Amino acid sequence: MSGVDHIHAGTVVGKLEGDPNAVKGFYDTLLLTTLKEDRTTGIFFDMDWASLRKCLPVASGGIHCGQMHQLTHLLGEDVVLQFGGGTIGHPDGIQAGATANRVALEAMVLAKNEGRNYLAEGPQILRDAAKECRPLQVALDLWKSITFEYSSTDTLDYESTPTKSAS
Amino acid sequence: MARITQGSFSYLPDLTDEQIKKQVEYGIKSGFAIGIEYTDDPHPRNSYWEMWGLPLFDIKDSSTVMYELNEARKAFPNQYIKINAFNNARGVESAAMSFIVQRPSFEPGFYIVRNEVEGRRIAYTIQSYAVQGAAEGSRY
Repeated sequence: MSGVDHIHAGTVVGKLEGDPNAVKGFYDTLLLTTLKEDRTTGIFFDMDWASLRKCLPVASGGIHCGQMHQLTHLLGEDVVLQFGGGTIGHPDGIQAGATANRVALEAMVLAKNEGRNYLAEGPQILRDAAKECRPLQVALDLWKSITFEYSSTDTLDYESTPTKSAS
Repeated sequence: MARITQGSFSYLPDLTDEQIKKQVEYGIKSGFAIGIEYTDDPHPRNSYWEMWGLPLFDIKDSSTVMYELNEARKAFPNQYIKINAFNNARGVESAAMSFIVQRPSFEPGFYIVRNEVEGRRIAYTIQSYAVQGAAEGSRY
């Protein structure tokens, strides 16, 4: 509401906020034009954002190209994916790291648009793309399926209780 | 050869017609208007590609798009052709997809142009080799 263009909003499989439901709530708040109450994702009331500009969520912190299928599934396409270590840490240099990330992303979006079950087939999609892209192959070999799994410190907490009638 | 990496999927190997058709189908299913554009000038700031006809608003069938694409290919076999998909939903109102579907057989790349401006300062820009030597009347 203060007009921010983009903001870090959780990564689920990375170092930022890890609860998928909480992150979905954040992303919905930032990207949708109307919200419906949904306690499972932490949305406590209906909200119409009217003409308020959307805000782009950012996912950053320990994510790498080997997780592309999970990132696409959990975070969608309207997101800024920031790969810091996942780019600079590439054994063949930063440009190779960037190429690997771009190829992984494009291959995953291509498969998603085609209607494939990219979440289940993700590792295979990445391996196939890596056959044509040496930087991606090196990155996959190095980071394999490293992921950050830890329980969230701030979980969604709700209980449905009926409101007592005023009359 | 400098394979330009503009638009989606430009880092992947050239898309097959099967793959292009599936992407177009995804655009149609999502309610986007499909447009076909072409150019011989691959400069990254070239936002004015020629339009191959009007965008296909309310298109229901990807085979129409593939037909138009093949007609464009026949007319301009050695130019870049791209497909844009426009999302007119409130809050988006911009191209949701844009990807190159044809490249010239040889992409010569770019060179640096050095312009000496005020105080002998050099202002740099890039130029594509593809639009060189294209005299009036012979470029198209």
